[in-house]
Amino acid sequence: MKVKPVNHAKAAEEFLDDAPHLTFHDERLWDMRQKRDQQMHLLPEWQELRSRASAIKEHTLANLPEYLEQFEANAKKNGIHVHWAADGAEHNRIVGEILEKHGAKSLIKSKSMVTEECDMRAYLEPRGVTVTETDLGERIQQLDDQMPSHIVVPAVHKLVPDVAKIFAKNYNTDPNDDSPQSLAESQRMAARPVILTADAGMTGGNFLVAETGTFVVCTNEGNADLSATVPNLHIATLGIERIVPRMADMGVFIRLLSRSALGSPITQYTTHFRGPQKGGEMHIVLVDNGRSARLGMEEFWTSLKCIRCGACMNTCPVYRRSGGLSYGAVYSGPIGAIIDPTFNERKYSTLPFASTMNGSCTNVCPVKINIHEQLYKWRRVLAEHHELPFVKREIMHMAGKLMGQPTLYRTAINGTEVALSTLPRFVLYNWLNPWGKHRELPHPVKQTFHSWYKKNRLKDKKESQGGKA
Amino acid sequence: MSSRDTILATLRANRPDPAAHELPPVAVLGDMDAGKARFEDALQLLGGQILLPQEGDTLATAIARRFPDAKIICSAVPDFEGTIRLEDVTSPQQAAATDVLVVRSPFGISEMGSIFLSEAQLNSLNSAAHLTQHIVVILSEKNLTANMHTAYVERPEFHTANYGVLMTGPSATADIQGVLIRGAQGVRSLSVWWE
Repeated sequence: MKVKPVNHAKAAEEFLDDAPHLTFHDERLWDMRQKRDQQMHLLPEWQELRSRASAIKEHTLANLPEYLEQFEANAKKNGIHVHWAADGAEHNRIVGEILEKHGAKSLIKSKSMVTEECDMRAYLEPRGVTVTETDLGERIQQLDDQMPSHIVVPAVHKLVPDVAKIFAKNYNTDPNDDSPQSLAESQRMAARPVILTADAGMTGGNFLVAETGTFVVCTNEGNADLSATVPNLHIATLGIERIVPRMADMGVFIRLLSRSALGSPITQYTTHFRGPQKGGEMHIVLVDNGRSARLGMEEFWTSLKCIRCGACMNTCPVYRRSGGLSYGAVYSGPIGAIIDPTFNERKYSTLPFASTMNGSCTNVCPVKINIHEQLYKWRRVLAEHHELPFVKREIMHMAGKLMGQPTLYRTAINGTEVALSTLPRFVLYNWLNPWGKHRELPHPVKQTFHSWYKKNRLKDKKESQGGKA
Repeated sequence: MSSRDTILATLRANRPDPAAHELPPVAVLGDMDAGKARFEDALQLLGGQILLPQEGDTLATAIARRFPDAKIICSAVPDFEGTIRLEDVTSPQQAAATDVLVVRSPFGISEMGSIFLSEAQLNSLNSAAHLTQHIVVILSEKNLTANMHTAYVERPEFHTANYGVLMTGPSATADIQGVLIRGAQGVRSLSVWWE
């Protein structure tokens, strides 16, 4: 069966209908963007940090096989078991086998976008493993059976009453609890016993350091450190692109990451795992899942520089007003729109169009990914691969013909004046004009610039030229 | 071919030209102030506290005043008694009952207000730092480093510790309607005591 493209516009429409959620979502993310700006202005070296981060990442990607080998050798020397997964299925199988070997039935985990990519919970749970998300936002999403709607703040689209309802159903708390403090406390009280009796812990990770075989995890709630240190079995999952060459490079990235993400100078916890704890066992799964192929895409490989801060999402007017879930993908927002098509070109063919091309995403990106240019390039690729919907394709085709011929274009433009002022609404606003769904068409102009110029300036020019001659 | 070899081979075939992407030299940028005032401001911004001595205070009297209801005060340092020593705590389940854990950090970072802890300070029971309700960190002003660059360049712990955590204030979350809550799932408070 052919995969249907995600109907982002329709999902966004539903999101737009709910005013309280929409307003909060929009304002909360814009507040994160403003806090990021305040932090940026405190550091005169901000742009230099971005340039360094970008250069380090580009260098690392160009030398990725060597750095991964170096990482693997050092991690093994420190007693870490290193696994390689070509795709999500292999990742899940590896994790499942490790757990089975230890007879582990209860897994506590911190937030990891890679495990979302691999849809790991859906694989493990039928095999008798209870997976408990310990990050508050991620846990809310797990209990509500939804994907994370944002890579940093997974439940940012929900309001207090939504969380109260979900917790009441699962934790037997007061469904009318309107205090975020007491709801967060409910999560702490519910999570502690699960953490203390879990058989295994799992974390994601933000960085791999080739020089030392370390992986670095940046979090705020303390749940990742609990998940990693309470059980004696720690499994970490990271994408192969998350690597930097030297420990000293971490300074650049840690200074940028949380400032870009939340507008705080650093996450409350920045944890460096270099080997198993006393009496413990540590595994790391290095996941490809399309990344090695993306490295070969000349126009898109720099998307692998991403450090998953979410700044591009917070600043994006389309994301803020459509919500992460409307993208129908693990990665949403501008960064999602340029990496999702590499996972499934047809399914995510609509996402590069969810942009106004304002370029704000590119401006805030701490590793200088040219996100809005890649959005544009994806549109071209999708058009070439015939992944555009019929109406968009035909309109573009007609527009192309029209704009390629000045005389035809001018005749048509003159005609729109008459059309816009005389045609009935049903002719102007219908399924052939998706643009007009939530917008009014512009008021017809009395005169186009071209006809005004022809009448006035061109005449003057001719006259003055004539005078001189 | 194993997945490892397939992945590495694909990367070798697909990568951009390494010669066009030089590794920049190690960056040491920004404010080089390694002072106590900068550290305290940064720590407080992230919800951490300074345990200030009053006239005639020892660490023990300051802790007793700050945590009057604490029943189990666990010490990971030789120069403070507490009600139990960390060496006598043998499991995370036992550590979970701790009200206050007292540790000594080998260094702090002025830019961030961060303190560092590893298995060396936690008697290899790393979870103790996160299961305790509150943590008091003894820190010396002479062990402050200016910023993240200097920390990673100067401190040997990043190359030797198996578990090394930079803690900056207490655990926190803003996952419910954007409301910032200090004391999420790890420590509810983090206080620094200058020595």
